[in-house]
Amino acid sequence: MTVRLAGVAIFMIAALYTWYGRDYTASFGDVLGPSVFPMIVGIPAMILAASLVVFPSGQVSWPPRDHMLRQVAALAILAGYAWLLLPLGFPLATFGLIAGLGIVLGGAPLKAVALGAVLAPGLWALFDQVLGLPLAVLGRWFG
Amino acid sequence: MKILAPTSAVFGMAMALGLSAGAPASAAECIAPSNPGGGWDFTCRTIGRILTELDLVDGNVQVTNMPGGVGAVTYAMVVNERPDDPELIVATSTVGITQIAQGRYPAPVDAVRYLAMLGADVGVIAVDDDSPIQSLDELTEIMANDPGSIVTAGSSGAGGWDHIRLLMVAREGGLNTLGDLRWVQFDGGTDAVTQMMGGQIDVVSTDMGEIAGFVDSGDIRILAALSDEPIPAFPDIPTAQSQGIDVTGYNWRGLYTGGEVSDAEYDQWVSDLETLYNSENWQTAAVEFGLVPIWRGGADFEAYVREQEKVMADISRDIGVIE
Amino acid sequence: METFSLLAQGFAVALTPLNIALLLLGCFSGTLIGALPGLGPVNGVAILIPLTFAFGFDATSSLILLSAVYFGCMYGGRISSILLNIPGDEPAVMTTLDGYPMAQQGRAADALAISGVASFFGATVAVIGLTLFAPMLARMAIYFGPADYFALYILAFVTIGGIAGVDPRKTLLSALIGLMIATAGLDPISGIPRYTFDNYHLYDGVDAIVALVGLFAISEILMLLEKAARDRAAPIGLDSWLPDFRQIWKTRWAVLRGSVVGFVAGVLPGAGASLGSVMSYSMEKQASDKHGTFGKGDPRGVAAPEAGNNAASGGALIPMLSLGVPGSGTTAVMLAMLISLNVQPGPLLFERQPDLVWGLVASLYLGNVALLILNLPMIGLFSRLMMVPTWALMPIVAAVSFVGVFSISNSVFDLELMIIFGVLGYLLRKLDVSLVPLVLGLLLGGDMERNLRRAMSISDGDWGVLMASPISVTLYVLTTAFLGLSVWLALRDRKRQQARVTEG
Repeated sequence: MTVRLAGVAIFMIAALYTWYGRDYTASFGDVLGPSVFPMIVGIPAMILAASLVVFPSGQVSWPPRDHMLRQVAALAILAGYAWLLLPLGFPLATFGLIAGLGIVLGGAPLKAVALGAVLAPGLWALFDQVLGLPLAVLGRWFG
Repeated sequence: MKILAPTSAVFGMAMALGLSAGAPASAAECIAPSNPGGGWDFTCRTIGRILTELDLVDGNVQVTNMPGGVGAVTYAMVVNERPDDPELIVATSTVGITQIAQGRYPAPVDAVRYLAMLGADVGVIAVDDDSPIQSLDELTEIMANDPGSIVTAGSSGAGGWDHIRLLMVAREGGLNTLGDLRWVQFDGGTDAVTQMMGGQIDVVSTDMGEIAGFVDSGDIRILAALSDEPIPAFPDIPTAQSQGIDVTGYNWRGLYTGGEVSDAEYDQWVSDLETLYNSENWQTAAVEFGLVPIWRGGADFEAYVREQEKVMADISRDIGVIE
Repeated sequence: METFSLLAQGFAVALTPLNIALLLLGCFSGTLIGALPGLGPVNGVAILIPLTFAFGFDATSSLILLSAVYFGCMYGGRISSILLNIPGDEPAVMTTLDGYPMAQQGRAADALAISGVASFFGATVAVIGLTLFAPMLARMAIYFGPADYFALYILAFVTIGGIAGVDPRKTLLSALIGLMIATAGLDPISGIPRYTFDNYHLYDGVDAIVALVGLFAISEILMLLEKAARDRAAPIGLDSWLPDFRQIWKTRWAVLRGSVVGFVAGVLPGAGASLGSVMSYSMEKQASDKHGTFGKGDPRGVAAPEAGNNAASGGALIPMLSLGVPGSGTTAVMLAMLISLNVQPGPLLFERQPDLVWGLVASLYLGNVALLILNLPMIGLFSRLMMVPTWALMPIVAAVSFVGVFSISNSVFDLELMIIFGVLGYLLRKLDVSLVPLVLGLLLGGDMERNLRRAMSISDGDWGVLMASPISVTLYVLTTAFLGLSVWLALRDRKRQQARVTEG
């Protein structure tokens, strides 16, 4: 069932892709134009996805609910990192990322926090000081 | 460009490292709207370094890379967030103006104030060394009478600067239906030249800097330099003007600042940049990078940019790149 | 045999005590930088360039240091491919296919050793090829036109079909998804934006490193999170810290074949190391995968792409030095290195600065020798990384990947994109869809489309141009032969299996 659903999803995406691609008009001086290649790619993708819907192959076993929750938590931590990196500044955000992921991955909370506390400043020092790629210590929220 | 990005990254970071060794305080910021490396990054890093060397700013000039949309991301940011920041300068070039002329930036050309151009790469028209085409005259005649018989190429896409300056030459030479001339895009001037040596294409229009080695080796022949004066390193190559085709095609490098920066601050920048232009430091650095030092600043430069934008928009409309 | 004496001179210059010290230092620090996910050869070289200026080394010493770092980083990228299933750079993608399964079976030391030895032999073949054929090959590469490149990419994609996965439809679909992603951004030929949804951040297309780190590193975290239920945070065991040298000897033919295929792919400007490692892997699989062990930890599946990749990097020097065309990310780094030393590659470089050219070739080779000497004893140390518990290792990997990407682009959008790719990678892996064809589609798609359109512009819309040159016809014949062979082998295997079923 999952494979069929995935086939439907990919088919829809490929169809949308092909539909959008149709409209890219060939400007002057470009014989083939920008829309032919998307057609060459999109149409076979639609056919293959459709064939997966009709003749699915393979089995997918999804993880139990509590593990899915952990996965969602991990994604939330990653997204939170992306959005809080600039407001919080680099070491603080990285501390949250390492400690949070460590806990989600089943590490002892205290150990994960300790790991984050050691590594966040360490990584900042490595990138900013040793490798010379500037990273802000304190973010927007701290002035 | 994708391929060049890693190269560029090497350079840029190398230079960034060199700079970051100094004092952290900075009184000015230069944004290169691209990945490290390449023309815009060179402009910011070199000008930043020399501004410091000449004590025209306090401390170091902070160089930030903000790639995206051939400069569009930076343009949007300056117009929306920092239009009145007198400490901000941004690198641009003919390529940026082409994008504006074709409506690919989020704001029109007069949304910012153009400070100065400090150097340029000169456009050239080249053929293979055993091509039957011997002179620009012969080329324009073929383009005017039988445009379908030759294939032209360069490092920009259709409607890009390499293409447009070739079309300007073709139009001066009498071709009216510009759409009849075939154009092939390659990822760089060198790529286009090697494909020409392999016999795939007939004519290349691109910047001189990148392909100079092939002129030295005699693999290709330059029919015309699209400059007012012959290129200093190649005095024997005739300009298009000297052959009766009144076209120049510089790829200039320059800077702009926010649209609401006061006149006094704007004038200060222009005069600082003029001092920089006249310094030995800039003249050497520009030549090392394959540029011809050329100065246009202040109101003179603003007028030049607007004029160039208009010419490009006209040609783009003629050839159907824009409505 | 003037070139040989020039090469010998190159070695003589390279082998001073200072240079040997630099060689070892470069290899060591390069390996460490390359092993950090998100940081590859580009960053490694960038980090060391200022150092060469600061110490005022001459051109030869600088070249030696930078080549050592460069190869060190490439090898470091293999370490994360093999141990963590996260490729450090683009060509290392193929190494994950068999290297990671080997590590999971406790044979990490073997896989690392094979990778080192195969790389060394790939580099040897490349140096020999360079010395014998460089000027001739450079002239020949010119005659490879857009239509021929298109044919080459078709061949590459057909061979990808044989790479991995149970269901060939899924493999092909994965490649097509990669090609779809490759079309996003400003179209370089017409200049119009495609699939950017008016977001300027998408105008430059999707950065391969962002996609790579997302697809592999983040999806790996999600995979681990679901597994943790069954075997809770137990680190993967390690049979031995010492590589088994008989295993390495068994891969000798794979190494040889991979080196030759890789070298040929490398000489063509624009094809580069990624294509070299792909072709070597799929050719090797076709030639010697008799028991279906490829993709499940076959040592030859590590040896062939590693040899191919290094031979291709060597071969790619030919168009880079003699034409100044940086065909791939790999050679682009080298080009930047040379330009930073005030050397302008081009048609006259071999005549004007032969000492430099051969000095470079010699130092590249020495870099490989140093890596072999340095890293074989260190394999035990690297393998111990497998003993770090998952809860500590993966957060570090995630943090380093994010920081690596952000520190270079300063773009939060790239981080968001990386997470999206992570989810995509996870879903595809759950569906048994191999990620490797997707990455290759993303890497090669842009060039494939552009060359098709260039060919059509040159011919003014005549599709016949695609079959007009002897080179492209040869490539299509090869493609057809390859397809035929794959179908025949598949049919034969099925018959045998059926026979076995009826017997049993």
